[in-house]
Amino acid sequence: MIQLFHVYKTYGRDVEALVDINLHIQKGEFVFIAGPSGAGKTTLLRLIFRDELPTSGQILVNGRNVVKLPGRAIPHLRRSIGVIFQDFKLLRDRSIFDNLALVYRVLGIPAAVGKRKVANLLKLVGLSHKVQMTPYRLSGGEQQRVAIARALMNDPVLLLADEPTGDLDAELAVDVMRLLGDIHAKGTTVVVATHDMDMVRDLGRRAIILKGGRLVEEHL
Amino acid sequence: MERLQYILQDALVNIRRSGWGGLASIGTIAFSFVIVGIFLIITGNLGALVSEWKEQFQVTVFLEDGITAEQLTLLKKRIQSERAVKAVTYTSKEEALQSFKRELKGKESLLEGLGENPIPASLQLRIYDAYQTPEALRQFTASLGRLEGVEDVLYGQEWVDRLTAAVRMLRLLGLSVGLALGMASLLIVSNTIRLAVYARAEEIEIMLLVGATKLHIRAPFLLEGMIQGGLGAALALLLLFGAYRATLWQLQLTPGQIFGMGVGSFLDPQWVGAMLVAGAGVGAFGSLISVGRFLRA
Repeated sequence: MIQLFHVYKTYGRDVEALVDINLHIQKGEFVFIAGPSGAGKTTLLRLIFRDELPTSGQILVNGRNVVKLPGRAIPHLRRSIGVIFQDFKLLRDRSIFDNLALVYRVLGIPAAVGKRKVANLLKLVGLSHKVQMTPYRLSGGEQQRVAIARALMNDPVLLLADEPTGDLDAELAVDVMRLLGDIHAKGTTVVVATHDMDMVRDLGRRAIILKGGRLVEEHL
Repeated sequence: MERLQYILQDALVNIRRSGWGGLASIGTIAFSFVIVGIFLIITGNLGALVSEWKEQFQVTVFLEDGITAEQLTLLKKRIQSERAVKAVTYTSKEEALQSFKRELKGKESLLEGLGENPIPASLQLRIYDAYQTPEALRQFTASLGRLEGVEDVLYGQEWVDRLTAAVRMLRLLGLSVGLALGMASLLIVSNTIRLAVYARAEEIEIMLLVGATKLHIRAPFLLEGMIQGGLGAALALLLLFGAYRATLWQLQLTPGQIFGMGVGSFLDPQWVGAMLVAGAGVGAFGSLISVGRFLRA
C-alpha cells in the first residue's frame, strides 16, 4: 500500500525533517508511526497524501508514485485516502452534518446517498444525536470522532490518523483506538502517528519509531 | 450533475454572504455600464443622424445663364459618367424660382422688384457614400467647377464632416472612459471575490485535502462573479432605459420623431446583449484573478 525509498525532507537549508526513510506498509496493515514531537511523524503522513513533496526519494501509494504525480491527479489520490488531522480541521461555524456533507459534495455523490452515509458514520462514532451541533459545542473527544467520521466519508482504502488520541484522557483514547481497530478490521489500511509509546506497547501492533527524522526502530 | 448543483448552491451561498461587498460590486459595474451606455446611445443616434444626412446629401452645380441645350446634354453626360455620382436631377431656372416662391410663402412680394429671374438653373447630384469624404469631395467639386457651362459648385459638407469627427471623438472618449471604468469594476469585483475566498479559506483548504479539483474550487466563485457582473449590467440597462423613456417623455417626443428621422432610438438588441455579456465577463475575470492568486499561494 505504501512504500518509501530513501525519502529525505529538508525544510529551508538545514532543517532535516526526514532522513533516508525506507519503509513498506502492506495493504490491510495497522501500523503506528511513533516518536516524540518533532520526530517527523506529521511530515511523513503529509508526504503520503501529497500535501508535501519530499526533497528526494520516491513514494508509492496504492500503486501511484506520488512524487511524480501531476497536479491534476492529486485530487484522485486524495479521494482514496482518509486523513484525520491533528487539529481536526473542522469548520467551526458549520454543523457536524455540514462538515461531513462537504466531502460528499466534493466527491459529487448524490445528496440522498451522501446523507445516508453521514447518518451511518455518525452512528458508528456515536454522535447521531449531535448532527446539527457545531464543533464549538462538542468536547475534544467528540470533535475527534467527527474528524474520524469525516475521514471515512470517502470509503478510503487507506486511513491516516495524526495523533488521534493526542488531547484525550486515557478512557477516551481507548475508545478512539477501538474505533480505529474496528475500521481496520473491515479491511482498511490504517496508519496512526502518535507520541504515546505506552499505548503503542499496549496494543502490540507493528510500530515504526522515528527520532529526529530518522527511522530508529521497528517493532513487529 | 450533482456536482453542478453543489457548485450552484455554493455560488448562491457566497452571494448571500457577500452582503455590502456584493452590492458594491453590482453597483460599481452598474455605474460603469450606465456611463458607457450613455456614450453608446448618444454616439449611436448621432451616427444614425450622420448617415441619414449622408444619404440625403447633394452637390449642387449651378449653371451659367447662357448655357445651350446642347451644352447641357453634354455636361449631364459628362457628370453622369463620374464614378462618384449616383444620380443627376436637372432644375431649370423657372422651376427653381417656383420652388423659391413656395419657400417664401406669402412673402412673394419680395421678388416683385426683380425684373428678370435671378435664380440659376442647376443640377443636383447624389453622391455615393464612399465618395463623401472631405478630400474626395474637394477634388471632385473642383474638377466640376472647371467644366464648361458651370457657374459654381456648392456642397454643405463641412458641417457633416465636423459632426462625423465629433461622433468619432465621442466614441473614442466613450471607449476610454468605458475602459477605465471597466478596470475599476474589475478591481472592485476581484476584491469582493477575494474577501469571499478568504472567508472560505479554511473550507477551501479542507476541500482540497479531501480531493476537490481546483476547477471545483473555482467554479462557485466564477459563477458568483458572473452573476454579480451580469446583475450590474442588467441594472445599468434598466436605469438607462428608464432615463431614456423619461427624457423622451420630457421632450414630448416619440422615438421616431426626433429630427423626423430614425433617430432617438435606445440601444440595439445586440448592444444590450453585448453589455450583459461584458458585465458577466468582467465579473468572471475579476473572480479568476482572485481565486487564481489564492490557489497559487
